[in-house]
Amino acid sequence: MKDSDHGDFEPRLRALWVRAQAGDEDAYREALIRIAARVRAYFRRRLQYLPDEVEDLVQETLIALHLQRGTWDPALPVSAWVIAIARHKLIDLWRRRGRREALHEPLEGLEDSTLLSVEELPVRRDLLGLLDALTPAQRQAIALTKIEGLSVAEASQRSGVSVAALKVQVHRGLKRLMVLVKAES
Amino acid sequence: MKTSELIDVLSSGAGPAPRAVAAQRLVPIAVLGIVLSGVVSVSTLGPAPASMLTGVALWAKLGYAGTLAAAAGWLTACLARPVSRIATASRVLVGTACVMALLGSFSLASTSGPQRVEHLLGDSWAVCPWRVLVLSLPALAGALWAVRGLAPTRPRLAGFAAGLFAGSLGALGYALACPEVSLTFIAVWYSLGIALSGAVGAFLGPQVLRW
Repeated sequence: MKDSDHGDFEPRLRALWVRAQAGDEDAYREALIRIAARVRAYFRRRLQYLPDEVEDLVQETLIALHLQRGTWDPALPVSAWVIAIARHKLIDLWRRRGRREALHEPLEGLEDSTLLSVEELPVRRDLLGLLDALTPAQRQAIALTKIEGLSVAEASQRSGVSVAALKVQVHRGLKRLMVLVKAES
Repeated sequence: MKTSELIDVLSSGAGPAPRAVAAQRLVPIAVLGIVLSGVVSVSTLGPAPASMLTGVALWAKLGYAGTLAAAAGWLTACLARPVSRIATASRVLVGTACVMALLGSFSLASTSGPQRVEHLLGDSWAVCPWRVLVLSLPALAGALWAVRGLAPTRPRLAGFAAGLFAGSLGALGYALACPEVSLTFIAVWYSLGIALSGAVGAFLGPQVLRW
């Protein structure tokens, strides 16, 4: 797949990704920023008639990547894994819309670098608004650890919920968010 | 929420990635599938005659179904990932079926003419594949649930693998109750029951394995 090798994209991403998988959060953040730019370019080329959908799909892909981090096979390129998930999300979008544009291939000779910037686009859907639909325990767990940025131990002290239970609530909350995102679109 | 904010949300407190996610889901299903199939078949049909403990057929059934279950479980774990290499697992799976087919053929060839039909059909050829299929359904539901919670991008193939996995587990339990003693019988009718479960999985895959 030509999307999986763009010069030194893969080696750099892989170095970050290996550290991220072992629990290095800074490496994980940096890897996600690079992946977001890559995936954005991928979607922009394929959604030339639906530019409004691009950023929502980027966010959906990032959440799916995060929830499915354990399914990356270290024997294979990170970018191939990322693009496989992005492609799955794109096909899913076409299916939801029931349109035939899935058959449109990107124009020949138009490369990401010439046609598309990696600038973030406006989103249509606000994930923060969706947080209200979670259970109170899930919302609290996500708000404390993810939005206020407390460590799980600090959040556990603040809320009186055990560390293990908090982790479960965060994971369930993100999964639920994923379902809500699909239901909305 | 902007994407850059979402990235902060996802990465803060992320911790290390979970490991062996497919095995964690499939191993309990394998154990439950075998136990359930064994208990249901022994309690409804009665255990296989004790004389089979000294024969080759019972062990051939357990060995064949067990090896198939391991290979199909491995293949299912591969197909639960968005990208994976499936060549080795597929070869082990096909190789196992071929070895059993060869054993069944030799066994049939070494049987004298008049007994061949009996050797091939036994007493239960008409029910064996269906029993294996029914006994594998709980494991099939479990395996599809397990794969759905991961990230399959080839749903029909993943459903097929999950079906073969569940079929092998059903056959493993059914072996404890099945009185047939011919290797040819195992090679044909056990394989057919497992393949039926695979077909059900392949049929359900595209509908069920969405995420």
